[in-house]
Amino acid sequence: MATATSYLSAVHQADSRARRHDISPASTPALSTSSSITSSSEDTVLHESDDNNTGLTYPRTPPTSEQVFTTVHSEFGHCADESYRCVSQHNPDKPVTEHEIEEPPYYILITTYISYLMLIVFGHLRDFFGKCFAKQYFTHLMPYDGYAPLNSDFDSFYTRRLKRRMDDCFSHPVTGVAGRTILVYDRHSEDCNYTQIYPGTKTRALNISSYNYLGFAQARGGCADAVEESIKRYGVSACGSRLEGGSNELHLTAEALVARFVGMEDSLISSMGFATNSTFIPALVGKGSLVISDEFNHASIRVGVRTSGTQVRMFKHNDMQSLESLLREVISQGQPKTHRPWKKILLIVEGLYSMEGSLVNLPHIIELKKKYKFHLFVDEAHSIGALGPLGRGVCDYFDIPPQSVDVLMGTFTKSFGAAGGYIAGPKHLIDALRVRGHSGIYAEAMPPPVLTQIISSMASIMGVTPPVSSKPALTLSPSSSISTLRCAEDDVHPGMAPASAIPSWISLPPALSDGSEARMRIRRLAFNSRYLHAGLKKLGFITYGHPFSPIVPLLIYNPGKMATFARMMRTRQTPIVVVVVAYPATPLVTSRVRFCVSAAHTKDDIDTILQACDELGDILDLKHGHSERWPLEQIMKQSVELVNNI
Amino acid sequence: MSDTPTLSSTLEPLLTFLAYSLSRLESTFYKIPGSAVVTRYVKSSHQNDPGRTILELILVIFAIRTLLQSRTRGDKQGKHFIQFSEKEIDELVDEWTPESLVQPLNDWEQRDLNSVPVVTGPIGPKPKLLSNGKPVINLASFNFAGLAGNEQIKEKAIETLRKYGLGSCGPPGFYGTVDVHLDLERNIAEFLGTEASILYSQGFSTISSVIPAFCKRGDVIVADRSVNFAIQKGIQISRSTIRWYDHNDLKSLEDASFERDGEMVDLPKLIELKLKYKYRLILDESVSFGAVGRTGRGLTELYNVPAIQIDMLVGSVANGLCSSGGFCAGSSIVTEHQRINGTSFVFSASMPPLLATSASEAISHLRNTPSILAALHENIDTIRSVLDRTEGITVLGHRASPIIHFCLRNTQQHLTVAPPAPDHEAEEQILQDIVDDGLANGVLITRGKHLRGQEMTDSRPTIRIAATAALSKKDVEKTVGIVKASIARVLAKRR
Repeated sequence: MATATSYLSAVHQADSRARRHDISPASTPALSTSSSITSSSEDTVLHESDDNNTGLTYPRTPPTSEQVFTTVHSEFGHCADESYRCVSQHNPDKPVTEHEIEEPPYYILITTYISYLMLIVFGHLRDFFGKCFAKQYFTHLMPYDGYAPLNSDFDSFYTRRLKRRMDDCFSHPVTGVAGRTILVYDRHSEDCNYTQIYPGTKTRALNISSYNYLGFAQARGGCADAVEESIKRYGVSACGSRLEGGSNELHLTAEALVARFVGMEDSLISSMGFATNSTFIPALVGKGSLVISDEFNHASIRVGVRTSGTQVRMFKHNDMQSLESLLREVISQGQPKTHRPWKKILLIVEGLYSMEGSLVNLPHIIELKKKYKFHLFVDEAHSIGALGPLGRGVCDYFDIPPQSVDVLMGTFTKSFGAAGGYIAGPKHLIDALRVRGHSGIYAEAMPPPVLTQIISSMASIMGVTPPVSSKPALTLSPSSSISTLRCAEDDVHPGMAPASAIPSWISLPPALSDGSEARMRIRRLAFNSRYLHAGLKKLGFITYGHPFSPIVPLLIYNPGKMATFARMMRTRQTPIVVVVVAYPATPLVTSRVRFCVSAAHTKDDIDTILQACDELGDILDLKHGHSERWPLEQIMKQSVELVNNI
Repeated sequence: MSDTPTLSSTLEPLLTFLAYSLSRLESTFYKIPGSAVVTRYVKSSHQNDPGRTILELILVIFAIRTLLQSRTRGDKQGKHFIQFSEKEIDELVDEWTPESLVQPLNDWEQRDLNSVPVVTGPIGPKPKLLSNGKPVINLASFNFAGLAGNEQIKEKAIETLRKYGLGSCGPPGFYGTVDVHLDLERNIAEFLGTEASILYSQGFSTISSVIPAFCKRGDVIVADRSVNFAIQKGIQISRSTIRWYDHNDLKSLEDASFERDGEMVDLPKLIELKLKYKYRLILDESVSFGAVGRTGRGLTELYNVPAIQIDMLVGSVANGLCSSGGFCAGSSIVTEHQRINGTSFVFSASMPPLLATSASEAISHLRNTPSILAALHENIDTIRSVLDRTEGITVLGHRASPIIHFCLRNTQQHLTVAPPAPDHEAEEQILQDIVDDGLANGVLITRGKHLRGQEMTDSRPTIRIAATAALSKKDVEKTVGIVKASIARVLAKRR
């Protein structure tokens, strides 16, 4: 089943099978049937024993004869309707939407505080009595046999007393591809989540949780074929750090391609996204410099800044007034005590914030940068690939030349279905980071299969110009007007990749190499994101974030409801796995469920999610939004209109 | 005089309203359960000591003020704050000229960067260089057990790719825990004989997360002076108090098998001390795991110490198992604690599944074919014996270490940790000449590189040779012979 042709025929067979299926509505959708997959059938391309009633493995409406889908429906959903597409682009006539926060009614806030208060009071009571009467459970928290306690009970209180109660909603083991659907291992606990029991069965669930924005998490298709070829050619490991014998030609190829993709002079690649920030920021700033950081910046940035030993000041999330007044203060005051001017000021912001779904106000920051002369570092971990008409991130979205930012950082985990991260910037800066960053000498270089996934997925987003110098064969998949227009200018930034930029042994299928499939993915992602945002709003929920953000946080507030929400979603007829986040990842009251939309989802999938949220929202009393409400049917029917009119 | 009645009559409705709301407030207050106790307490304490009431009132106000103050407050209230007018600020902003974000590379850094070898095609014992397409013999890459390019591992990786795709697309907490990760964690734990282990997606970031997960401000870390850079960073992030090998008042002791000079710690002695002084032991086996000991189980196997006696055993999947990532093995309490408190575990995507299965395959390879490690150890002996007989250099490190550092011999015999000398750069130059000369003659070796100025101690400049089981004894002899000749040539030129 390795080659594309054999795979295609399998898809066709499956399609005809699906057509023969009687697609009567589900009558007895017992969970156990959908989870009775034997391990032998998993290696086949399409899971025969999967339950079709849920629409997870086979589409509910079978494809017509002229529609050819090259993806596995369970990995990347089949959606042929061109109206379910949208272009992710900033409208320059409209002001940049600020991070606006809708407030819930007071009784929600009060009950939330009471919930936490009860958890804390009972937790401490249980700790107190537990330490008196059931010492065996507390040995690691108390002095024991002369050893100091391993952890302080105060530090681990939250974990033991609050998180454990809903441990079944976290760290759920999965198997297979983290694509549109995912196979989760069934589990239950008989001792309040101290231990989990795995009967060995699995359930296929709709996956609205993985960072798979463009749907490149695939075990089949052009990228996976390229990775297989690279394993045969290069092996699995790079065997060393970049500066000590672990550098490979693929590193250079990938770095050149990344630089071209983001529109910078040069780039470097690190084998871990977290480490990209935590090991390279210390090479940028040091004593006498100041880092200004958004209060919701990711932990990796904080670790990097802390490691550098630099002074750091924070400003209110995405609040430009707060940023400007802070800038005026720090520049006029200079360094603390000595009042000497700062050597340099580095502003670190994220393109898209992973817990809020909010988008950085880049145009305003660029304006401030001109006036206040700080250096700008934009972490595009979530926005690269996911935003902008060509998927080139926030700069592309706002149509700002990338070189007006000093350093662009991003990761490959999310949109590219790979791992690791990059830093892009002017050549002299990147060279300095190569030598002075911690990763260059001490951390392992990125393994060749991961590099190949990056190269092939990125090349397919850019499109590859054919080696012959004829006009690029980049036209006219029905509605690609914007992309074609901008791709026409060759060699300018958001252009295509020349064939020489990718290794000759990578042969991408035509739909990938001409960029048409990736453009479809980008536009599907934009549609899905906007649709879910708008749909949830119209259902009456409070959501955060930018309408184009693939991260859609839905506010739940009460900790108890949060766990219930996750459980009820998981045990629905069409199981849905969701991510719930609470304190300390968010402020105490604003517990939320975080949806991560993917291009792999179909409009039907978003409908499924909206329907589930609608039902649970009524049961759990979650609908506290103030905007105009529509019934579910109307939302589903007028989705296109809704998306275009936000 | 005539004004007063009119004033009081206009104020009357207001006063009645005030009185009404006060009594209302009072009655509501008494409705709250427990409020009577509070009132009684306040009243009686006021009766006993009116001064105390005032004091307590001040305390309450102070507490509220502290609570309301932003935690990230700057110096605005501080005594160093200077008040400027808007115009002055504008002028100051205009006058300020910041430095450029990075200083350009100096000549030495540029040379360092240019000399980085780039391999074309697969990495292994005899890779080809991109610069000239010539094959070289590789004594630079970490391929101790010769697992790079292993066909079985490749097959396993492809199989995994076809089932799981490449990326895991999520942190472990949010559907990024794939069954193959749990399998590898179990395999590592079984291989070492610990209760459990936890997988990180980069070797370097492992220990710098493990340390702050357990050591906080107020704890004491006792560490060896030449621990590797990752440990130094971990200690720095943890904000603990650091003592350098001083066996009093211990809570946690930290130690490494030293990546930077190939020295090894006397583990049995450490364990003996541990039992005596009741500290906790973190052992970084980033280099020794997969290379040292009869079957590659690391220092614990070499010294016959049960791995359960080490509280946190950190190792590298990337170096030892020719894959990527790192792990921390220990009791399940230790590993479970990191699943929420290990920063780079929680906030990073889990490692790609195919790298996890490759590592699992590598472990079963180490288990089933002890002859690989025997070959490695023989090659280490060969390298050391040739280098020991080479003029002008001093070989550092433990005899079983798979990485062999040597430095230039100088007149004062400060061998391992010399005080930072101004001529380090000159020494680095000579060593780089040796590396370049070796490369010209078909041998890939590297200097032991450091971030000078950022490391805690500036150690002697060295050249690092990484032994591998993938080369035959004859090849190794020949190769080290070439290195020896290069050393002689370069040193002769210098004199």
